[in-house]
Amino acid sequence: MNAPFSRAAERGLAGCHICGKTSPVALGKCPRCGTHLHLRKPHSIQRTVALMIAAGALYIPANVLPVMTVTELGDVDATTIIKGMMTFWRSGAYPIALVIFTASILIPFLKMVALTWLCLAASGKVHPSPSLLGKIYWFTELLGRWSMVDIFVVGILVALVQLGNYMTITPGPGAVAFAGVVLLTMLAALSFDPRLLWDRLEAIRLAELSHLHSPNS
Amino acid sequence: MSEPTPTPAAEPDFLPARRWNVVWVVPFLALLIGGWMIFQHLSSQGPRARVGFETAESITAGKTDVRCRSVKVGIVKTVKLQDDLKSVLITIELDPDYESLLRKGTQFWVVKARVSSGEISGLGTLLAGTYIELDPGPNTGIQINDFAGLETPPATNSNVPGRRLTLTADEAGSLLAGSPIYYRGLEVGRIENRKLDEGGKIVTYDAFIQQEFSMQVKENTRFWNASGIDINAGADGFKIRTPSLQAMISGGATFGVPEGITPGKPAQDGANFKLFTDEDAANGSAFNPTMKFLMLFNQSVRGLERGAPVEFRGIPIGRVAEISLNYLDEASDSRIPVLVDIDPSLLQTKTREEISKPDFIFLRSCVQLGLRGSLKTGNLLTGALFVDLDYYPQAPVADLGKMNDLTVMPTVSSGFAQLEAKITAILDKLQALPLDDAMKKILAVADDAGGALKEIQTTAASARQTLEDPEFRKLPQELRTTLGALEKSVASVGPDGAIQGDLLRTLDELRAALRTMKLLADNIDKKPNSLIFGRDSSGNPVPKSPSGSR
Repeated sequence: MNAPFSRAAERGLAGCHICGKTSPVALGKCPRCGTHLHLRKPHSIQRTVALMIAAGALYIPANVLPVMTVTELGDVDATTIIKGMMTFWRSGAYPIALVIFTASILIPFLKMVALTWLCLAASGKVHPSPSLLGKIYWFTELLGRWSMVDIFVVGILVALVQLGNYMTITPGPGAVAFAGVVLLTMLAALSFDPRLLWDRLEAIRLAELSHLHSPNS
Repeated sequence: MSEPTPTPAAEPDFLPARRWNVVWVVPFLALLIGGWMIFQHLSSQGPRARVGFETAESITAGKTDVRCRSVKVGIVKTVKLQDDLKSVLITIELDPDYESLLRKGTQFWVVKARVSSGEISGLGTLLAGTYIELDPGPNTGIQINDFAGLETPPATNSNVPGRRLTLTADEAGSLLAGSPIYYRGLEVGRIENRKLDEGGKIVTYDAFIQQEFSMQVKENTRFWNASGIDINAGADGFKIRTPSLQAMISGGATFGVPEGITPGKPAQDGANFKLFTDEDAANGSAFNPTMKFLMLFNQSVRGLERGAPVEFRGIPIGRVAEISLNYLDEASDSRIPVLVDIDPSLLQTKTREEISKPDFIFLRSCVQLGLRGSLKTGNLLTGALFVDLDYYPQAPVADLGKMNDLTVMPTVSSGFAQLEAKITAILDKLQALPLDDAMKKILAVADDAGGALKEIQTTAASARQTLEDPEFRKLPQELRTTLGALEKSVASVGPDGAIQGDLLRTLDELRAALRTMKLLADNIDKKPNSLIFGRDSSGNPVPKSPSGSR
């Protein structure tokens, strides 16, 4: 009965985090590269939550403080993300405003919300349907690729626009905070072990199965 | 498979580690860093203040500096219209170090190029751009964030020692911010600012007097506008007054204590003074009318103006306050009411005390003695009138009256009006003469005269008759003959006549007789006793005069 549903973990097999070799977890170390073997990432949820909280803490200065300071002919203008977006919106550049809003405000926020939700699901606090869980996880993975857009933009502008007295762009403290947010959310996403989700789903399914078989036996 | 079956010991551990994980340092650090960043940002932001201006001309948000003594202390953050759309609200952000500058009394104004008759300032801003100057107020420790910006720069900085005064006037006249203030011809201060009060009725000036002259501003000092040329034609003649050329162009104010008034204590900072339109008004304001009288003139008051003097035998004691028919009770009254202000302090001390008594006994007695008001011509050229008080003993008896709670002083007509009245009186008398009777009498006399003439005529006729009588005509002939006879008799008396010869002889003899008489008289004179004793009766040999007659 177990054969079609048997999992590596049930058989005491663990995949190496580095080289990917599957070996018995009892070995302790990967026989190929010597990395510590774990069935699941250790303290995954705790780490993810901690990093999420850190990202959330930096999210506030990232939005409050100016991301970049434009010095144009002695006219110093420090803009925050929101102010820059509003400027584009007011001047009628709606697509750019939307892009900035999505990439800089919405995506990091959604990523944090989604990851938190996944952590809750993995620790059994919420019980979503398996298909929703899958979609949310996919979405989180998708968002991660776009997290750094703003930092790219600021980095490119700062590197390119250095025209001495005419126009200079320097990164503001907000950019640092924003980079911190992006980095922390990425780390949080990395430290999250999605197999915990599937373990739980598997456990539920097994419980349902045993419930199904118990009257027969 | 050859691999051994998993042992229960190799069962994976699903329990999460309960022990404290080192990863929690990360959010802790993130919180610290984030909090520090925000704190840093907020603390690097200086205090903000809102300054209201009339216009935001040449002020740019984010660009215009706020400077204090040319040191940049802040920047304009936002420029917004006020809700009432009548002014602008400028938010400035000061550097955190200068937070203490936002205190009560701090002034803001826009420094830009200004060209006025008095001075040219702020030329540097043409190139460098305008900026907002901050002049910190006294350090009282009261911090405020809302200020009203000055439209024009105060001429002097608030920490320059001197007197700061407020002048109020009904009209702005030619005084501008920056106009000089003179004292006895010396420039001692400036007008710093002028504004209309909220009610829109009074113009308020901020004036600054330099420290060294500030003691000259007394509590009873009067300020007046010394701008422009003042030509005045009143009851006291023409007056032309010109100030200095600069004051003529840019306006100016002068102050002083009116003649005859003891200067009071030096004025305090912030004291309020009234700005009079000219020197006369300023001096005239020494006038303190406490008594009002109504005078009803039964003549035209053309030429009498408000402010015209009220004099008692040439001494000014008051002014005409108002000329208005509204003081009359009855519409049919054709007299012209003139309200006069009397300053009893201009009267003799005793008189003042007497006249100020509410029962008017003194005044009543004066009126009984003939005190009357009258209009007199002060200036024949302009026809300006003034009110004169004098005693007119012949005036008809009158008493103080009362009309609408005002004491009415009796009046007499005078001046041209009096002359007119006199001529009228003469004409009236002429009219009243009994000319008809006189004519009758004259006619009667003429009749009598006619009779007399007739008699004269008859007399003349009879005379002519007499003349035409032939006897009378003969008369000349007879007269001629008589005259001829007379001529003959006269001729006998002539040198060739007989009478003449006789007469000559007689005269010779008479002359001889007279000579002897003279000799006799001489003898008697020399020797009066000779009449008795003869010529030689005395023993004294007397030289004999040649005897004998000549």
